[in-house]
Amino acid sequence: MGKKVLVVDDDPDVRLFSVTVLEEHGYTPLEAANGEEGLKMIKEKKPDLIILDVLMPRQSGIRLYRELKTDKSLKNVKVIILSGIARKTFLRSQKALTEFGGKEIPEPEIYLEKPVEPEELAEAIKKFLG
Amino acid sequence: MDIKKLLFVTKFEELGFDALQSLLSLRKASLNHVVFVNVIERDRVAMHRGAGYLKEEEIRLRETANIRFIDWAEDLFEQGMEVGVYIVVGSMVSEVIKAAQKEESDLIVIGRPHKGVLEQLYAASDITELLRRAAIPVLVYKQLSETAISIEKPFEKPLLAIDWSPASLRAVEYLKVLKDVITEIHVIHVVGEKELKGASAMEVQRKRKETRKKLDDICDVFETEGVKADAHVYIGNAEDEIERAAREHQASMIVLGSSGKTAWVERWLGSTPQSIAEDSIYPTLLIPFEK
Repeated sequence: MGKKVLVVDDDPDVRLFSVTVLEEHGYTPLEAANGEEGLKMIKEKKPDLIILDVLMPRQSGIRLYRELKTDKSLKNVKVIILSGIARKTFLRSQKALTEFGGKEIPEPEIYLEKPVEPEELAEAIKKFLG
Repeated sequence: MDIKKLLFVTKFEELGFDALQSLLSLRKASLNHVVFVNVIERDRVAMHRGAGYLKEEEIRLRETANIRFIDWAEDLFEQGMEVGVYIVVGSMVSEVIKAAQKEESDLIVIGRPHKGVLEQLYAASDITELLRRAAIPVLVYKQLSETAISIEKPFEKPLLAIDWSPASLRAVEYLKVLKDVITEIHVIHVVGEKELKGASAMEVQRKRKETRKKLDDICDVFETEGVKADAHVYIGNAEDEIERAAREHQASMIVLGSSGKTAWVERWLGSTPQSIAEDSIYPTLLIPFEK
């Protein structure tokens, strides 16, 4: 069984796209439709990598990313952000949350703005998982 | 009864980002999460004779909404707020209620329908239905351009119309929490002309005094929270007098308890909250009775 990759995105078409790319490259995909569901799956299934959207119902990727990076047991889980929200906005938002009394957290190593080509996503995944 | 999460329902024509920005003063009262909702009415994409389901049209409408919401969300994210989005095909009221329940939101903000006479009858029933089914307060927002007044901060100077119903008394509790947002509040009660029919001048004055005393007690609740509050008694038709009072006291919003009448009764006989929500030039906040 390939390494587990969790796709957190509310758009079923985007999940289908990412899952297809993952399966084609021999990974085991998992799916969640929002940040809350994603966090639950991360704790239960312990994926090797997360492909995370930002703008979602219930809990955004911005908050989920922050929760991951401030949790001792989860902070080393690798994350690729895949979103229509600009990287600049993501960083400014994290900065604002830090200023409101939150912890400073590291920037995501890979940030892809939608839409992406399958090869671009596959390459990003390979960088983390080989 | 904090307002932490707000559901902003828009079809874009009637409610834009300027309306949302005018509500951001609620951040002083713990607002930190905005959820955008766009409902694509089923008849725009389905049931077209000979064409079937218009999948391409659905994609176009979804993407148009998505692009707008991304732009708005970026602005809010950068302020450190949390943002969510629902773009769904379905019936307006059901989808809004569903999203409000899923998100456990504290307030629904929706624009007023302004269409042709026949369409308005249909669209207005959406608002009535929403008011009837929502378990949380609903703010029927009026676009700045469609009113003669300029409302930059709707929660700054509300006019609370009390009819002594449980819902209107619940409104007092709701507004009390917004003490950091409200600078001044006017509390009014409209005495119907029927109530005074045949009454002597003394009886009319006694009625006014009694009512005024009860309103003063409500004002004390606000004053204790540090909000300037004034009581006023009006006589006449409730809808006309509430609108008049809002104008006279330069209110930024009208707040009412929504009635517990059934949808059929409201649709055919009307109700004061429903009429004001649909016809007033002021944003109207309706607080439901406890369900």
